[in-house]
Amino acid sequence: MRSGKWLLVVLTAFLFLAGASLSMAEKVLRTNLPADPSQTDPITVSELYAGDVLDNVYEGFTDIDKDGRVTPTLAVSWESTDGGKTLKFNLRKGVKFHSGNPFTARDVKFTFEQLLIPDNKGGLAAPYLKSVTGAKDILDGKTKELSGVKIVDDLTVTVTFDTPSVQFPIFPFRFIDSALIRSRGLGILKDTSVGTGPFKFVHWKRGQEVRLEANKNYWGQAPQIDAVVYKIVPELDTALNMFEAKELDLVFIDRGASRRVLRGSEYKDKLLTAPAAQVQFFGMNQNLYPPFKDIRVREAMCSVIDREAMVQGIFDGAAFPLYGFVVPGFPGSNPNIAPLKTDLAKAKKLLADAGYPGGKGLPPISITGTSANKEELAYFADLLQKQLGMTVEIKTMERGNFIKAMNVGELPMIHWGWSADYADAATFLDDMWHSKSPYNRTKWANAEYDALIEKARMTFDAKERYRIYNQAEAILLKDMGQCPTVMRKMVAVVSPKVKGVILTPFRLQNFNTVKIDD
Amino acid sequence: MWQFALKRTAGLVPVLLVAVLLTFIAIQFVPGDPVQIMLSDHSGNVEMEKRLRAAYGLDRPLYEQFWLYLKHIGRGDFGYSYRYTNHTVYEIIRPSLYTSPILAVAALLITLPPGIFLGVFAALRRNQWKDTGVILGLVTGISIPNFALAAFLMYLFGVKLRLLPVAGWGKPVNLVLPILVLAVAPVAYLARLTRTYMLEVLQNDYVRTARAKGLRHRLVIYRHALRNALVPLLTTVGLIFGGLLSGTFVVEKVFNIPGLGSLAIDSIFARDYPVVMTIVLLFTAFYSVINLVVDLLYAVIDPRIRLTSRGP
Repeated sequence: MRSGKWLLVVLTAFLFLAGASLSMAEKVLRTNLPADPSQTDPITVSELYAGDVLDNVYEGFTDIDKDGRVTPTLAVSWESTDGGKTLKFNLRKGVKFHSGNPFTARDVKFTFEQLLIPDNKGGLAAPYLKSVTGAKDILDGKTKELSGVKIVDDLTVTVTFDTPSVQFPIFPFRFIDSALIRSRGLGILKDTSVGTGPFKFVHWKRGQEVRLEANKNYWGQAPQIDAVVYKIVPELDTALNMFEAKELDLVFIDRGASRRVLRGSEYKDKLLTAPAAQVQFFGMNQNLYPPFKDIRVREAMCSVIDREAMVQGIFDGAAFPLYGFVVPGFPGSNPNIAPLKTDLAKAKKLLADAGYPGGKGLPPISITGTSANKEELAYFADLLQKQLGMTVEIKTMERGNFIKAMNVGELPMIHWGWSADYADAATFLDDMWHSKSPYNRTKWANAEYDALIEKARMTFDAKERYRIYNQAEAILLKDMGQCPTVMRKMVAVVSPKVKGVILTPFRLQNFNTVKIDD
Repeated sequence: MWQFALKRTAGLVPVLLVAVLLTFIAIQFVPGDPVQIMLSDHSGNVEMEKRLRAAYGLDRPLYEQFWLYLKHIGRGDFGYSYRYTNHTVYEIIRPSLYTSPILAVAALLITLPPGIFLGVFAALRRNQWKDTGVILGLVTGISIPNFALAAFLMYLFGVKLRLLPVAGWGKPVNLVLPILVLAVAPVAYLARLTRTYMLEVLQNDYVRTARAKGLRHRLVIYRHALRNALVPLLTTVGLIFGGLLSGTFVVEKVFNIPGLGSLAIDSIFARDYPVVMTIVLLFTAFYSVINLVVDLLYAVIDPRIRLTSRGP
């Protein structure tokens, strides 16, 4: 009798479970990551793939919509008092963390402090805080409290700066659940979901997958799918084979061999493309190669580059010619930049005028890059040698050493790029070309340019600031210390049954807009 | 025999120490600095660099770094990965610890029967067309590069016929194609050697004696001849197994399997030295243990070795 009862219970449970799994076929978006994320927590995150995943799990004050506009996220509004020295943020009401804890001003302050505490290895977001009053004391290990951030009430927080930071509201912060971390410690961050975003972090299995599940209580548009699985697939061809075998619904190709996808007719109606928020430039260091001090020599270099040929020949069509230093359509970009035409005759004449007819008298020079971009280096070396009669040597370095050498200004000639860290022209103009920036890779310096950039830093009115950026960019282009070449095209292929995937210059938008047909 | 096993196991310690030292030295000569790679676009930022160097102990002199590393691994602490922030080396390697042995054992198991059978088959039909045919097939098997075979099988069974998953890990069906690809070359290698050793053994007097006694053909071949051919083959099988354990890199990459081989390569590129060192140690240990097992098995198969190992 007893065993019969048990049997009945087990059978019922089994039938129930079987029925449940049949009626609720899980809707899972299966996509790819070309490498494992280097971080799974929002404090140390410092690279793109980790960012791709965590953007769905964590949120900051603002986000960027599909047209590149800044939209309020966890802050509904902000205003500057006392001439930009203080910013007051009004936070969104009714937002809950994945744990169910409410999101408040305390979480903002706590997140900032955790980013700055040296032992926590704060990632990309940490430098955004360096102008906040009291940040240095935490960095120096004197205190763990950020004196420049004041909690006014649950939904109001003020941030005071040593030097104003107009971009502060749009910096990509990721706020974390302070109540949960206080009780369980920072150690839980790497495998626990402590954000407010539309998806919850479930697990990361190295070399296999990252799994997110829908946050049904999301304050905004709740996800219409149950989960997202990012399969880690380093080989693009394998990812495309998996797509064809219907093991993946969405393949994102942010770099490299997109030839198979762009040229293959079978992908035509499954293709999404967008320009990447990244500029590539040909850089000349005047300190290391004296002929570059003459603007005629620099203009000759810039006039000989054939951007259309680069797009087709080097990038297989997965790029666009670039004529300005701010990606077109980006907040603060100038739509009226005249393209610099490829003009061989002009280039030769300029060089002759500068005293180097046919390249005679120009000392040999090297162009440096990594082995991954040697095709570009070969293009420039060949071009300058054949067309302008220069002697150009190609040098390749290991990537880390190369970037360091570039950042400290040890390379006379380079071709490299810069990806936007946030949605404002400042990421391209201020961070790259102000003479004091650690990322000014040609050590180009122009007092008028610096003055405009510094003025923009203090200009809170966005329209006015963008006007200043346009002026500064014009100087940058006219002086030709470096010239823009191309920007990459990002490509994704998506299965016809998946709707609502949005590809923007800032990679894929969060997946809460995605629907999967039965 | 136990004494012999113990002695050999103790002998592993200096081997591992030398491996650690050599790897540590080799790493110093690899161009690229883990801190610059961590900083990526921000490399050259002196403040950030200083903080990271201190956080990972890379600001200390090399001898001190080495000594600290030895002390830590002595306690079973392999440190933190450079590439995966706040993850320990153990957390990073753990999933792969099962992957490579599963692949290697499975591939070895399906290698042995056809390898040995084909070898014996060819040896018994020496210089007949069947022998030539088998040899030809084997040479082809050795010659096909495994990445080409993998790509072909993936396309055929995964994309075209949709019988098997293209890539991935976690379900038994995921094992089928990788193991097939892994087994092809070892089967060919093993069969060729089996043939050679069998031909040698078959000419021995005791085989003739066995036949003269009137023993059945099958008994002569499998009990008397093959058993003696197995002794030299055992070393080969050990080497094949070691190769399968550490040499599955290409197959892991193509089929997207999170194994030790691909982790090792990725870690070298990312200058994730703590992970590299630990994997080198693991591979060294694998090879040493396989050698030990092979030596012990010799004793089981060949009584003469057992006798001599007892010593005078």
